[in-house]
Amino acid sequence: MTLFDRVFSGNDAVYALTENAIDDAIKKYGEDKAVKFPDTAYSLPCYYAVTGTKVADLKGLKEAHGVVKTLMTREPRLNDAFMSGVATALCAEFIEVLKYIDGAVPYEEPLYGHLPDAVIRELGVPLVTGDIPGVAVIIGGAPTTEEGVALVKSYQAQGILVTLVGEIIDQCAEAGYKTGANVRVIPLGKDITSVIHVVSVAIRAALIFGNIKPGDANALMEYTMKRVPAFVNAFAPLDDVIVACGAGAIALGFPVVTNETENIFKVPKSLIVQPDVSKFNATSLEARDIKIKITNIDIPVAFASAFEGEIIRRK
Amino acid sequence: MSEFKMTTVEELEAATDRLLETGAKVGADAWQFRVKNQTPHCKFGETGVCCKICTMGPCRVTKKSPRGVCGCDVHGIVARNFLRFTAAGSATHSDHGREICNTLYQTAEDGNYKVKDPEKLLRIAKEWEIDTEGRDIYDVAHDVAYTALTEYGKPFGTQRFLKRAPKHTQELWEKNELAPHAIDREVSRSLHMTHMGCSSKPAPLIKQSIRSGLADGWGGSMMGTEFSDVMFGTPKPIDTEANLGVMSEENVNIVVHGHDPSLSEMICEYADDPKMIAYAKEKGAKGITVSGICCTSNEVAMRRGVPMAGNFLQQENIVLTGACEAIVVDVQCIFPALGPLSKCFHTKFVTTSPVAQMPDSDFIRFDAKTAAENAKEIIKMAIDNFENRKPELVHIPKLKQKATVGYSTEAIVKVLDGVANTQVDEMGTTKPLIECITSGVIRGAVAMVGCNNPKIRPDYAHVELMKKLIANDIIIISSGCSAQAAAKVGLMDKRAKDLCGAGLKRVCELADIPPVLHMGSCVDISRMVILASSLAKDSGLNISQLPVVGCAPEWMSEKAVSIGNYVVGTGIDTFLGIDPCVSGSDEVVDLLTGGTKDWVEASFTVEKDIDKLGDKMIERIEEKRNALGI
Repeated sequence: MTLFDRVFSGNDAVYALTENAIDDAIKKYGEDKAVKFPDTAYSLPCYYAVTGTKVADLKGLKEAHGVVKTLMTREPRLNDAFMSGVATALCAEFIEVLKYIDGAVPYEEPLYGHLPDAVIRELGVPLVTGDIPGVAVIIGGAPTTEEGVALVKSYQAQGILVTLVGEIIDQCAEAGYKTGANVRVIPLGKDITSVIHVVSVAIRAALIFGNIKPGDANALMEYTMKRVPAFVNAFAPLDDVIVACGAGAIALGFPVVTNETENIFKVPKSLIVQPDVSKFNATSLEARDIKIKITNIDIPVAFASAFEGEIIRRK
Repeated sequence: MSEFKMTTVEELEAATDRLLETGAKVGADAWQFRVKNQTPHCKFGETGVCCKICTMGPCRVTKKSPRGVCGCDVHGIVARNFLRFTAAGSATHSDHGREICNTLYQTAEDGNYKVKDPEKLLRIAKEWEIDTEGRDIYDVAHDVAYTALTEYGKPFGTQRFLKRAPKHTQELWEKNELAPHAIDREVSRSLHMTHMGCSSKPAPLIKQSIRSGLADGWGGSMMGTEFSDVMFGTPKPIDTEANLGVMSEENVNIVVHGHDPSLSEMICEYADDPKMIAYAKEKGAKGITVSGICCTSNEVAMRRGVPMAGNFLQQENIVLTGACEAIVVDVQCIFPALGPLSKCFHTKFVTTSPVAQMPDSDFIRFDAKTAAENAKEIIKMAIDNFENRKPELVHIPKLKQKATVGYSTEAIVKVLDGVANTQVDEMGTTKPLIECITSGVIRGAVAMVGCNNPKIRPDYAHVELMKKLIANDIIIISSGCSAQAAAKVGLMDKRAKDLCGAGLKRVCELADIPPVLHMGSCVDISRMVILASSLAKDSGLNISQLPVVGCAPEWMSEKAVSIGNYVVGTGIDTFLGIDPCVSGSDEVVDLLTGGTKDWVEASFTVEKDIDKLGDKMIERIEEKRNALGI
């Protein structure tokens, strides 16, 4: 299968899932049921940013889903793969918002799920000033817990904001590694669709700080590519859905680094195969052109601005 | 950054029309009128069925007279004409290459010509097993030049540079007896084979066309390119401007036209001399502007960023501006019309080569030994001529575009290193480009080359095809007048990325390149076959498997046919917008458009409908992708 075929196939799969989820919700709650994420002024932030349309209820969500279909063109061109990546992201956002119906609390500690606007405003300034030099999105499970935790720690020590999706969250828990927004390691959720919550951060940053007009998808993607220093580390095995999400990330300008070596195509600066997980950090920073000057202070504990919000608890 | 807008073909035409008004005032002739006088062209000639190689003829084949006096049928006549056409093109490039080798032979520490890229010279010396250890660079240069010159007439063996091709290609050449021997021998063998009473069977004649083409591409042209780099520097990305608007009303305008950079480099060198500039000021000008036409322009643009005034069918426009003090030419593609035309204006038409002498010109014989004096004399002549300008005739169209040029194979590899990741990738390869192609981000590459031809609206095919291809995520490498067409309309401005599909656009952004890469002059098409060879070696594929095709939509010269033959001979399908005068023989047509596949895994496609020509290239590229499963 070509790379684009994998993206299209992943996109189709997520689209079908979303369709079922929306139809089930409508059956259960009726069309007029309100859908929203908590603590945001941007409705469904990704969909709103891309189309300029706010979604209020399940009926609107069903319509939005129809709009997403129009992005799913199937010519063998990068534009089509990019748009299918974006479509996959939007579907993920729909699936995630359904989890919040009726004020439900789908994510509990240590998971964050949706991040409120306040967090973005708080993180936005250090992102702009370069105090947070990058945003790492780690997806899946590292080959070993040690490697996974070491990777998280390496980014944390560089002041990079780390978000986690899937098995890596369990690996951190297993190692007893502290996570939380206060130490800038944010476990989002176990499902791949929860990755949308970090995409939502990047996109709201573009709306809030970049003054991007909702609906101006080109300006949005240009802003995220130029201004949001995010990148993805996706651990093997990569299924088509993850590949489709990756296309969405690349469309926004975020390179994907993976240790997957089977059935994968490399794309310079965008989709990079790095079999050695211990080199993910250096590979990612180079791919995203993130330059960090590090002064190593030889002390027995980690030292970085990320630890400034750390809370010391009684054991 | 200012707003980017492409120049349209209509704007180019309007500028030309305005210049023709000036021409009308002074009673100037122009190709636009001569074409009318020649149309309709003779059908026998157009279809290749007319033979005048002996005085029993001229013969022409019709239904009623299916054979010439000697009994040769239409297939033999068409194939012989085609071979002679190719051989002439091969001779032309190769003689250019020979002059460059001669110039290299005359390089000296304190001479007119020096070795500017010793690294490249040493690389070639090693490749040719010439001793370099502890030797003076000029001794090495002389040995390399001498060896290069023997490539033209060596009694045994095949061309040295053939070893640069992938193994598979070399095997095909060996197996099908296509590997060119001495360059001149292939040309003269072609003339022998086409003599009355020799070959009249199409297959061997077409085979010889390919061999003679390969002698050019992998022999004469390649040496021309490589040693021009050695003497004048290997091109690197450089910013310049293109179109007639680069000429300056206030300055002495010297336009270099032709092919061999030995002349144009010297003119550029001494036009920058403060003494010359001071002299120009004395004569009332503000300075000196050197610009170029055709391939010599490509040469100095690639290496010095000298602006490009125009391509082949714009050469008369230069004089029609009324602001050209001297048009200095050497060899190839120079309209003899420039002589009489220059007499309508103050322009000096300076011929410099014994190979190309024309009526109504000032002949200043240019020689490597006296190059500096010759160049100074020419520049001085141009400056002295400034005061003879007729102000009432001066009109320079205000059209020009920015262009980034200088993409030698070496420069392209360097660009690719810039997008490689030092943590995972090997540096100094074409692999990043291969990855862009295999992943589908870029669908393929098209080498756009060739001339202008009045049979096609000038530049229209070049520009429209390029626009269509880049919108389909196909990257373009370009040379010759095709490259100049791209530069003129703005396709070599990095901002032209917005005309690309998402894939090519992203590549242009990440690599910081324009979507159309200027690889140089017509001999520099040898750079393209080297690039194709590197891509094949780095990917492990055969050249013919790569989703890469060649295209000459507005081709005109015999050189273009020689190029077409060596590009096909290298394994790259080639698309032509003009029929190479072979339609009179279905056997020859079948060979060229399919039969050659058996020998070199590639063939020609001729399509006069330019839109369809683009579709066919995209189709071929997608076919090659499908075959590879990418």
